[in-house]
Amino acid sequence: MTALACARVRVLLEAYVDGDLALSDPQSAHAIRDHLLTCVDCRRQHEQAVSLPFRMKALRSPAPPPSLITGVMASIAPLPQTSRRAWGLLIPEALLGAFILWYLSGLEGLTAIASGAWSDLQGLAIWGSGSAPLPSVPVADALLLGAFIALTAIAAYHLSVLSRLDPTSTPHLRESRRT
Amino acid sequence: MYAHAGAEALAMTGTPEARAVAAGQLIRQATGGDLDAFEELVRRLQRRVYGFAYQHLRDLDEAYDLTQEIFVKLYRNLARYDAERPFEPWFWKLAANTTINYRRKRVPLPTDQSVDQGTGAASPALAHDPVLVGALAQLDPAYRLPILLHYYADLPLEQVARSLNLTIPATKSRLHRARALLRNSLAESEELDR
Repeated sequence: MTALACARVRVLLEAYVDGDLALSDPQSAHAIRDHLLTCVDCRRQHEQAVSLPFRMKALRSPAPPPSLITGVMASIAPLPQTSRRAWGLLIPEALLGAFILWYLSGLEGLTAIASGAWSDLQGLAIWGSGSAPLPSVPVADALLLGAFIALTAIAAYHLSVLSRLDPTSTPHLRESRRT
Repeated sequence: MYAHAGAEALAMTGTPEARAVAAGQLIRQATGGDLDAFEELVRRLQRRVYGFAYQHLRDLDEAYDLTQEIFVKLYRNLARYDAERPFEPWFWKLAANTTINYRRKRVPLPTDQSVDQGTGAASPALAHDPVLVGALAQLDPAYRLPILLHYYADLPLEQVARSLNLTIPATKSRLHRARALLRNSLAESEELDR
């Protein structure tokens, strides 16, 4: 069996300590064992190699500050006020939707609505050119238009509130470092 | 609140299998929007995650920020967790990726900074094993990350490999190289002390 140089021993030391070398290359493992009996420097390195995993496991770190959990939860939890507002918006949306549905069902479908709206617009255009008096628009039509506009505005606002509640949107990490 | 009590009871059993089962239950509850369950999960992981972040970054404030980022990312990715698979490798993979990206974004390498070098009084870990902590700080992050995951976060070799997207032989070789570098540093400083 040939003697190993210190440099070679040190390259193989971790595999030797873990027992991997004895399995993959038993001859080298024996040579290292023999080398360690005679070489003080390598023996010192071997001691370090053996103790290192234990020292790593025993390494202490500071305890996490108490504010850590609060900070994390504050970063991910939706703001309660925003959440309440998001639910509250469903009420006017439901009322407006119900009104529109009720109105549409009384006019035999969308075709009637479209033709009514078209004739209203034509009347307004003629009135705008000054050749005819202001046409009389049914109150229900005006209410329907108002309901459509209100529903669109509330739904747009609702969407903006919901996007802020989305947990997959960018989190807002607060600068609430340890106290 | 029952999530808290239940998880505490499960945590007391202590075995890795029991820990995995309990984490799985908490995750399922948290995925369903149970913030109490998520808070309990954070409570149980925080010590290891914060310690890992601190050992990697060597700065209390940065460790705090990184830990918070890891947990926020965990929350955002809960829906992607496959409950059929073990939680720990999935979580530590997420933690390792967040750490790598965090370093890229914000922090200079510890070898460039002398923040914690020689300021043992301000740093609890340095007071414990200053030579090892110093050697660890000098280590390249590519070597420090696997060694912290394996020996500090206590992940088995297979889980470290999965967390870092490496093969098992590549992980083993990186761990051996990291340990050899640490061993040399420790032997050198021991030599200087004589």
